[in-house]
Amino acid sequence: MIFFGILLVTMFVAAVAQHFIGPVPFIFARVMLVPMVMFYGALALPLPGMLALAFVGGLMNDALNTQYSDGVVEIAAGWSIILYAGLGTIMSGFRPLFQRGRWEIHCLLSGICTSFIVLAEYLMITIRRQPVQLVFNEQVWWRIGGAGLIAAFLSPLIFFLFNYLAALTGYDPQPERGLIKR
Amino acid sequence: MRQRTNIIAGAVFVLLVIATFIVLGQGRNTQRLQAGFLGMIQPFLKHGSSLDRKLTELREGLKSLKQLEEENKRLTIANKELSATNQTLRGFETENNRLRKALGYRENFPFQLMPARIIARDASTWYQTVKIDRGSEEAIEPDMPVITEEGLVGKTTVVSEHAATVILISDENCRVAAAVEGSSEKGIVRGERVSNYGIPVIGLGFLTKLANLQPGQKVYTSGMGGVFPSGVLIGAVRDFKVRELDGYATLVPAVDLSTIDDVFVVISETK
Repeated sequence: MIFFGILLVTMFVAAVAQHFIGPVPFIFARVMLVPMVMFYGALALPLPGMLALAFVGGLMNDALNTQYSDGVVEIAAGWSIILYAGLGTIMSGFRPLFQRGRWEIHCLLSGICTSFIVLAEYLMITIRRQPVQLVFNEQVWWRIGGAGLIAAFLSPLIFFLFNYLAALTGYDPQPERGLIKR
Repeated sequence: MRQRTNIIAGAVFVLLVIATFIVLGQGRNTQRLQAGFLGMIQPFLKHGSSLDRKLTELREGLKSLKQLEEENKRLTIANKELSATNQTLRGFETENNRLRKALGYRENFPFQLMPARIIARDASTWYQTVKIDRGSEEAIEPDMPVITEEGLVGKTTVVSEHAATVILISDENCRVAAAVEGSSEKGIVRGERVSNYGIPVIGLGFLTKLANLQPGQKVYTSGMGGVFPSGVLIGAVRDFKVRELDGYATLVPAVDLSTIDDVFVVISETK
């Protein structure tokens, strides 16, 4: 429970911190910290914990990013919750591997799922905005793929940080590996 | 036992999501949620922003006393010049209003400007917005124009007590009615979804095919639409092309949207 609280607080901190991290030079992709925390939670927590994280993370994402212009909401708030929960459920399926100590699962899936989130946002915006212009040029691909690459590169750091915090709180996200000496 | 817990958690989650869609289905509730969350993170953004500025100042190095004296002298002179110009313009404004009144037009009211500081830039991939440190407590409302001394920046959207979100003119969702200097051409300025390798791109569409705009021609707000006052510089024409149904010009924004720190929110003076 304490560890779940830590993940929630970190998610909030990540949402604030994202505002001070500009796009990565040359590829202009974003460092997406909130999904990274969420995806760690998806592997480290049981399903109810993951769903709770997905709800809070998705709501926070929509509260920050949903565009409200000329009296119209572009993409209904709540879609991110479904997106986070869907991807989180897929990641939960790999939890047994993660529990055995395979940390690279987190790294790989974080990258793929982060790219998928950016792609889904782009498709939703494209369909919503008139006239529909499905542009997939080099820049768009770099933004989508770049966000995933950054997430994949940073996820080991997130993984070791949270595993350390988990050990401090007495929670073992990888019991078969034996993070906590009993 | 675990399976049962999972089923219950799943059911609660689905109910919560449905409730979220029902409650936030109305735009006003979404705006309230956004304003509430913006209000919650505003102190963190403000402190983070001031820390960021301090670090930048530290990096740039401290100025000597002599440099500060010189800068102060220069700013005092500039301030006097601007005050004098302002006085003259006020005179013209009064005269203009008097003449308009005589002609039966609606009187032009002077605008009140609220200075604001950008405390955060957008954290998402596809939107172009900034957050400023002024909100409803400082008389800011949604759909108020935001400018700098160089030109148009955007308009406010979500407003919390002490912070507001500003949608930039480089965002695809910000549309501005515009007029071209030295011609009778009018059109709509709109941002593009993907910037040109980090440089915000805006375009002027719905022009006539015969517009033939030349590079460097200035584009101003036309005042139509009711949000933006007329005569605010938006940018200059970079190139012009004829599309299937209209003429389209790419513009160089008057304001460097990626580096601005301080802006003004235009608050219409009440009668």
